[in-house]
Amino acid sequence: MAALVPVINMAVRHEIYTGSGASPVNILFDANWQLMAMLNVLLVVMCACIIYNSEYADNAIQKMRMLPVHESGMYFGKSALIILMCMTVLLIEACGVVFCIDYWFKGNRGDWDLLFKSFVYEMVLIIPAVLFSLFIASAFKNMWTALGTGVVCVFMATMLPAGNFLLSLFPFAMPFQIFTNTKADNISNFIIAAVIESVVIIIMEFLLIKIRRLSE
Amino acid sequence: MNIIETRNLTKTYAGFTAVSGINLHIPKGAVYGFLGPNGAGKSTTMKMFLGLVKPTSGSFVIDGMSYPENRTEILKRTGSFIESPAFYGNLTGEENLDIIRKILGLPRETVDEALEITGIAQYKKRLAKKYSLGMKQRLGLASALIGKPPILILDEPTNGLDPSGIHETRALIRSLPQRFNCTVLVSSHMLSEIELMADSIGILNHGRLLFEGTLDDLRRNAALQGYPSDHLEDTFLAMVEEDNRQLKSGV
Repeated sequence: MAALVPVINMAVRHEIYTGSGASPVNILFDANWQLMAMLNVLLVVMCACIIYNSEYADNAIQKMRMLPVHESGMYFGKSALIILMCMTVLLIEACGVVFCIDYWFKGNRGDWDLLFKSFVYEMVLIIPAVLFSLFIASAFKNMWTALGTGVVCVFMATMLPAGNFLLSLFPFAMPFQIFTNTKADNISNFIIAAVIESVVIIIMEFLLIKIRRLSE
Repeated sequence: MNIIETRNLTKTYAGFTAVSGINLHIPKGAVYGFLGPNGAGKSTTMKMFLGLVKPTSGSFVIDGMSYPENRTEILKRTGSFIESPAFYGNLTGEENLDIIRKILGLPRETVDEALEITGIAQYKKRLAKKYSLGMKQRLGLASALIGKPPILILDEPTNGLDPSGIHETRALIRSLPQRFNCTVLVSSHMLSEIELMADSIGILNHGRLLFEGTLDDLRRNAALQGYPSDHLEDTFLAMVEEDNRQLKSGV
């Protein structure tokens, strides 16, 4: 659905965008990325909730805990699955953007490198959101509580001012960052922040598993 | 030779002792009946064996291995079924068992074998959430039996089964040590049920082990202590009531 956002936007209002002299990737991201990112993060939240709900619903998680697997390993497995899904989704979205560039910006095809970097950047910045969504989903047995918390976090992220570096570090706010609009220094800062956040969230999940086991 | 041994195994929650310093001795190759009224601490003890609950104090050894150092090895060698069947409702019975098979690294045919043993082979393609309570119970049993593990921990496995299902399950549990060369720890709150399956029993009440030994030992012990010994159910009830009385009077 997010891949259709730039296509529909261009189909309806292409004259506004094609007249600008800026790079097509820049134009398309500026015009569509906020909505695309919100749909991506909402998808991540929903997937995390569904995956954990399938384990909590009929107590499958208890069976898994009685097998020679580590719960933390299961968390990593789920993370890998959603990250793989995000890669597929971003690839489809990239195809949507490529189609827009090819169809509406015919004379301006030199931005493939920028497009690739933009999507790799978005991929890196969505990882903390994936890990945080799974952390929330694993914390609540009731899927609706986890989903509600996740959705509130996503909408909170949309309200945070994108220009404020510290506020933009909120895991669900990071995927809203746009590569072409970010200063070169800040790009590396955001990537480092994403790595640190991911490590912190993984530690939080480890602690949650340990505390839950001790309290049982 | 004992395959499971506990030493002063204790589990306390805030202001409540679920299991109080029990010393169990479960012989290898036997069916050991773990008996006690609801809330006696049977499930908590079994959960401690499986690493689902951390003991407050004391320790246990399973097949010469201790927890938590040998957690993975213990779980590889233990088939379990605790409280209620646990499964992925959105998967079929066969797919549920296939996940367990893959985790345990077992050959493909073990899935069909477990389904056959528990009598749900014809329903293997049906979603587990659409199973009846009895079928879910059988799926739980199949997930414990898959790969014929040397140790089986079964917590009230006949709950929710119809009379013929109860009879079949009892007969199956009784036959497991001979068929699969395994040890079975099975819990129940009914002595009449345990009597038909177990070689040795342990009676638990309010987290304390009141008796451990064979059924003949229980009869002899009951006669010595003045409990009714004609029917073991009466013996069990008399022991539990006496223990409850002692607890109330603070002895």
